[in-house]
Amino acid sequence: MSNINGKVYALNAITPMKPWKTWVLRGFFFLLWHVKPLQQDLINLSFIEFARWVVLPRNRLPFLGNGQLKENLQYDYLLFFSNFNGTWNQYIDAFSAVLSQGLNLVWRWSEKFPGSVPVTPFKEYIARVQFDTDYYYTSYPHASANDLKSAHIVQASLDSLSQRAQGCSPEQFGDAYLRFVLEVQAHLGETGEAPTVF
Amino acid sequence: MSKLNETDIQGFVLRGYNLPLARYIFLHFEDPTRARGLMGRLLHEVTTGQRWDGGKPESTVNIAFTHRGLSAMDLPDATLLSFPVEFQQGMKKRAGILGDTGLNSPERWDDLWREDRVHAWLGVNAVSPETLESRCAKMLGLLQQADGATVLASQDAASVVIDGKPTTREHFGFTDGFGNPDYLGVDRSSQPGQGKLMPNGTWAPLATGELLLGYADEAGELPVAPVPHLLASNGTFMVYRKLHQNLATFRAYLHDHAGLYGGGPEKLAAKFLGRWRDGTPLELSPDQPDPSIAQDPNRSTNFTYGADPAGTRCPIGAHIRRVHPRDAFGFNGRLINRRRITRRGLPYGRFVAEGQPASDAEDRGVIFMALNASISRQFEFVQQQWIEYGNDAHLGNDKDILMGNHGGRGRFVLQGDASPANPPLICSSLPNFVELRGGDYFFLPSITALGMISMGLVDPR
Amino acid sequence: MPNKNGKVYGLTILSPIIDDDQATPSHDLQIREYLATMPTGEQSPFALAPGTHLARLVVMDDVIYVGMPACEEHLKSKYLVFETNCDSDLEGYMSGLAASVPEQLNAIWSHCVGYPGAADQKAFIGYMKACQIETTFFFAAINDKSVPETLRALQTQRAVTDFVANHQGMEPAQLQREFAQFVTELKSEPLLKAASMGPHRDIKTGGRNE
Repeated sequence: MSNINGKVYALNAITPMKPWKTWVLRGFFFLLWHVKPLQQDLINLSFIEFARWVVLPRNRLPFLGNGQLKENLQYDYLLFFSNFNGTWNQYIDAFSAVLSQGLNLVWRWSEKFPGSVPVTPFKEYIARVQFDTDYYYTSYPHASANDLKSAHIVQASLDSLSQRAQGCSPEQFGDAYLRFVLEVQAHLGETGEAPTVF
Repeated sequence: MSKLNETDIQGFVLRGYNLPLARYIFLHFEDPTRARGLMGRLLHEVTTGQRWDGGKPESTVNIAFTHRGLSAMDLPDATLLSFPVEFQQGMKKRAGILGDTGLNSPERWDDLWREDRVHAWLGVNAVSPETLESRCAKMLGLLQQADGATVLASQDAASVVIDGKPTTREHFGFTDGFGNPDYLGVDRSSQPGQGKLMPNGTWAPLATGELLLGYADEAGELPVAPVPHLLASNGTFMVYRKLHQNLATFRAYLHDHAGLYGGGPEKLAAKFLGRWRDGTPLELSPDQPDPSIAQDPNRSTNFTYGADPAGTRCPIGAHIRRVHPRDAFGFNGRLINRRRITRRGLPYGRFVAEGQPASDAEDRGVIFMALNASISRQFEFVQQQWIEYGNDAHLGNDKDILMGNHGGRGRFVLQGDASPANPPLICSSLPNFVELRGGDYFFLPSITALGMISMGLVDPR
Repeated sequence: MPNKNGKVYGLTILSPIIDDDQATPSHDLQIREYLATMPTGEQSPFALAPGTHLARLVVMDDVIYVGMPACEEHLKSKYLVFETNCDSDLEGYMSGLAASVPEQLNAIWSHCVGYPGAADQKAFIGYMKACQIETTFFFAAINDKSVPETLRALQTQRAVTDFVANHQGMEPAQLQREFAQFVTELKSEPLLKAASMGPHRDIKTGGRNE
């Protein structure tokens, strides 16, 4: 029963929203999806493996009959699920430091959101709306998002070199090999255990 | 921001004294009342941050306390519990978090640090051996008079002397003393490269609250601090670590790998650190040392890594690039502004020149002291995430080559280019060049706070 | 198509949990207990079935009251949240799970309202569809690599680092020969197993006080 598996942390958060505000949020997500440069900062933070927001409209919770009571809610809810590398504090510090505007655009529609700057009240809010994971699985616990990106670069470079290696002279190979090493030299970090959480 | 009252802040926080000798005396309090009485006597001896416009004093004295030391002086429980968790626990309990395992684990520390008896650190700096002895004698005299504390042990440290002159070299031969941040209101002059990077490429001082409690920090708030305000303000936290250096192993490793490296042994050493031995940064002078850069404060720290993303000039995992990434993580350096520390400290042990025989068993190394407003957010973060780990630099689990707790494993990759004098190289089977022999976390109070403690006037809110 | 990002699918399933006063322990606690002991390594059902990059199961007890002036309200049922980042769409992924690990699926979802069991694939998929919530925004750092491709790349990275480290300063002809051999050996190595890396790690929690 843990939020942590290897190098990755599963954060779950649920926040209430007045239903009319949900539409503004959907608008913002639409924009974010289609205007790719807006996602650049998120991509450059490079410690999120996968993340998603799920708007849960108050009358759309699954209802399967069979004695289940129908929900009767006033608020819509915004669910947030993140899979990130690093500690909880590191994650929130980084977001607060460089992505505060984006965060505000997502969460200002949620009740009692204090803003993502300064960071201490922001952390208090997240701690209040976070709920814990019962089971967390990852196919690659010893690899962070950066490790994965590096691994794919190394694989692509190796495939390229193996092709070129066929039928070239030793000198040509020597050159190609050096170029290969230069391509992958920033991507050879070992994978392994994450640092102890604190 | 408000102007700093330098007479209320301990000088050790605001200045690296540049005095060549030091003795760190570790105290144990026998009785709360007499210990507080001792603080009252020491109060007049403590060097403040008042500027030395009339000339440097011949010796200085400063004091700091562990959490158990504050407890031993009977501070109220509510106050004690308001200190940050990591300070309450002390460095030994945080060993797992810091990577202080294996050769660095507490079982292998000096006796002084293995027992949980250190209550206070009394730091004496001096200009000459005679001055050091006389000031320390005076301190011991005060201790005896107050009868409030015993001396557990003391640690001597001194600048490395070469050709009769004190230098800023450390035992591996590198020139140290670069890299301390500028803070708003603390430094009279700002050195380019020491503060935070602005969007227009210039450097500005860091927020005062990154060093001192009670002032705005880089996150736009007052840093988390113990209560009451008066106890915490103008104070800071200090991390003390005695780092033993395995000089013989270091020299041997360098020698063995120089053969494989087209750039030669000096360049190899430079690639480990990120500066040539004389301090010239690799980023500014990748092919040879250049005293005109190293000795010019306007240039010696004035660089960024943006033009070297591949690590060709300064390897991505080089020590100075790890502990102060500047713009290497993007976002105009904003991700690193709250991860800076101020370093004090001096080497200890006999210096051995290059070519002279040295043994790992000989007692030598560096007394590392880091000052920061938040031990966990600043020192512990850098130690855990940037020294003993490499993910932020996209280096996976690779550790800092000089400081990392390698245990014979691990890798260091020197990125290079196609030129024969700057080839890529992978160093493997890394030994521990540095071993931890002990240390702890301390609180360095303001003069006011020291007075409150000595008079037993600390009230929690 | 917000559920999908490149080749990866962000599936979100919310299953109402049976609310039965007579059950001791209650169904949500039974799910929790089962999940607490379900393996997360190579024997995880998500390692045994294909296509899961990362997945989580969370028993959501209730919505959270953030404090006045927000209104306090409560869910009438508890829900099992299943958030998964996987290689194919709902039908393909769920069929794979139902075929490989029906026992574990039943052990978990039998505590949920209206769950038909994994044996009847059509009903099973129908159930999951009824419980699916559309993902509003799905971010993926890498969205074009499958789980096997990822495991292979990780394996390659480790092997390449070893090779480069051990072949420094070698003259080209020998290097070329050894490289060819290296590539052949790497190709014939069995693929790294999903979730296979590492023993359970101690976690020290230090609170929020940092």
